[in-house]
Amino acid sequence: MVTNRSTRRSFISVAGAALSAPLMAAGAALPAEADDAKARLAALEDKDAIHALNQLYARHVNAGAHEELSALFADPADARVEAGVRGIAPDGFGEQDEIEIATDRRSAVARVRWTVYTEAAIGPSCTLVEMARLQGEGVLRSTESALFENRYVRRDDGRWMIGAIERAS
Amino acid sequence: MPTRYPREQMHRIKYTKLAPEQIVSKLSAVNAPTSASPLSTVLSGKSMKIVLDNGPVLNYRFTDPGHLSLAEGAGAAVQAGYGALTLDRLVLFTHLVPKTERGFTVVVDQDTNLATVFEVWFSGYQDNREVQRQVYYGYVETAGGQAPAERHAITNRIEGKGFYWKQDNGVETLEFYPTVLYSNFVELTRFGGELSFCAPSDYIKISDDKYIYSRVEAEFSGTMTTYVLDPNRVEQIGIRLGFDDADALEYYLFRGRGEWVGQIAQFEPFGDVGTTQAQGNRAAPAAGKGARQVYRPLKTNPIMTRAQVDAAVAQTKTLFAPNNAMAGNKGPTSTFLAGKELTLRYDNGQAYNYQFVDVGRLRWRREGDTTWRDERYESWESAPGVIMFGHLLGGAPDHDAFSIVADFEHALVTTLHGTMGTPYMGNESAVKTLFGVVEMKGLTPPPKYRRHQFTDELVGRAMTWNYQQGLTSMHLYSTPHSLSWIIFLGNGAGGLEWSGPASYVKIRDELYFAYWLEEACNGTLGTILINMRTMRNCGIDYGAGPKGLRLSIVGAYARHAGRFNTLKYFSAKL
Repeated sequence: MVTNRSTRRSFISVAGAALSAPLMAAGAALPAEADDAKARLAALEDKDAIHALNQLYARHVNAGAHEELSALFADPADARVEAGVRGIAPDGFGEQDEIEIATDRRSAVARVRWTVYTEAAIGPSCTLVEMARLQGEGVLRSTESALFENRYVRRDDGRWMIGAIERAS
Repeated sequence: MPTRYPREQMHRIKYTKLAPEQIVSKLSAVNAPTSASPLSTVLSGKSMKIVLDNGPVLNYRFTDPGHLSLAEGAGAAVQAGYGALTLDRLVLFTHLVPKTERGFTVVVDQDTNLATVFEVWFSGYQDNREVQRQVYYGYVETAGGQAPAERHAITNRIEGKGFYWKQDNGVETLEFYPTVLYSNFVELTRFGGELSFCAPSDYIKISDDKYIYSRVEAEFSGTMTTYVLDPNRVEQIGIRLGFDDADALEYYLFRGRGEWVGQIAQFEPFGDVGTTQAQGNRAAPAAGKGARQVYRPLKTNPIMTRAQVDAAVAQTKTLFAPNNAMAGNKGPTSTFLAGKELTLRYDNGQAYNYQFVDVGRLRWRREGDTTWRDERYESWESAPGVIMFGHLLGGAPDHDAFSIVADFEHALVTTLHGTMGTPYMGNESAVKTLFGVVEMKGLTPPPKYRRHQFTDELVGRAMTWNYQQGLTSMHLYSTPHSLSWIIFLGNGAGGLEWSGPASYVKIRDELYFAYWLEEACNGTLGTILINMRTMRNCGIDYGAGPKGLRLSIVGAYARHAGRFNTLKYFSAKL
């Protein structure tokens, strides 16, 4: 199940708690607080895992490694890269990614901003275009910063997989 | 006595498809390369172990000035004849491997002990006569010495240079290096210097003033020419290996001297000295031995018969389609002709009446006919009063088309009359240039004999043409009768290249009407009006293929890319 808006707020509160954890640690370690710390740790681990998954996704897209890319998806059939996309790079260090983990930790959504590198074939073909294509050119290259809303699922073995990579409408 | 040139230019010769057995037989008939110059004895009596990166170890023993033995790695030694020449401390030697289709050409720098080795062989491509090559870099092992860290390597440091060469056997050529993958060569003596041709080439740096250049005449005879050159003194030592148009083996060493004809521009970023080749979204050429980028135009543009062309044209005519890669920077459509009536009267006796209905439709008829024909046209005003326009001649027997430049200030007109089909290909254009006058109410007729004229003013020039973002070529107006076009690699280095017959007409100062024919290619007739003041062209491509007949718009921005000073080599030799 994908989290809804209220769950997102819930994630933010967890993250906020994580930031204030050192202060709280100064007080007595009560059983309830121990549970809270465990939850915060789990949320941070999930977030790290999704960050890492996004990095791997970008690396495989950039390398055109379709087999490796498919292996990142819960259903390999969903491992589609938009036509013309030749590369992606997370903007900055991904510090602005908004990752929302479902309360049951079975799914997550992320709003991430990536720089997308695309190539569109110049056409129709003619002698020059034909020759350019032979040497890896003959394309119009462009770069754009785009917002993606991605879905993730966590398998029973605890490994996060990509459910879908979609541009935000 | 005048030179007897081949009946056909190089791209028209039907080179024999030699079988491997024929090649072995012809190679076996020679012991060593010939040479018009005395061969070097510098290697005689010496032994040499050449260690190559990612290649074999070559163990040579030079038993005398003409014979050697070679053991490749741990293999058994074979005996072969060889020849060597020197240029300063550089030695170039070559030999075949007996009873095979293989051979080696080796360049050794006796000062640095660095070596470049060309392993060459026949029957490595579907056209067996095309020489294949694998270039290895390494060094000569010295007793007790350490392996040098440096290597000869590919370079762009001679990209853009041009030379006139005269070999010791009398062969004269012009050779231009406008790209890092290809070169242009003009055979001044063998073919009369009419056309330039292009060949996949290697450029290797030995030092700042010594380079190795090599080309294979792919799609033609398949002959390989390899030489060491000194650009300061304009001297070369080299070797030629291949089969001529009569299938005779050419295997000779040569020494040559030349003249510097110039340097055209390079477009790589500053600091890029060409130690790698940008391949865009393609992986580097497949790792196969001898792999290289070769443009083989007839592979992607199959020859059609006249009947096939007629059928395709009957199906589809595409006139000035807006979706056109070559028209991204086209100029605005001219309104100059709309509403006008005029006659274009040519010196060959033909005259055509025109009524321009609006900016895209005209009516024409041959003078004397009573029937008008309607056609679509496009036009541009390249300079004040100079209009380029073009249209099909509906009903004409050869799918004829006109590309016209009319100068309304001087009442002169030049028309390129394109027709489809040649004795070689049904889908190949032919062209005739018509000179004449514009007759129109209110227009002052020109003096009786004044006309636009063919010109050599562009010869040797290079100009880049940006058709749209992502598509830029460079024209090299290589001879008075040919034009080469070069496609840039992603880093701005010159890449693939091809050429075709061309001609140039001067319309006004810095305003030229040029055509080129993509013969033995996709058959297109390209026509452009080059304005060297606005640095822009307008033009029309005319061609036919499986998708029918097309007239398409050309429009690009120009930059000057330099000039080779070559005109003197094209003067008539009687």
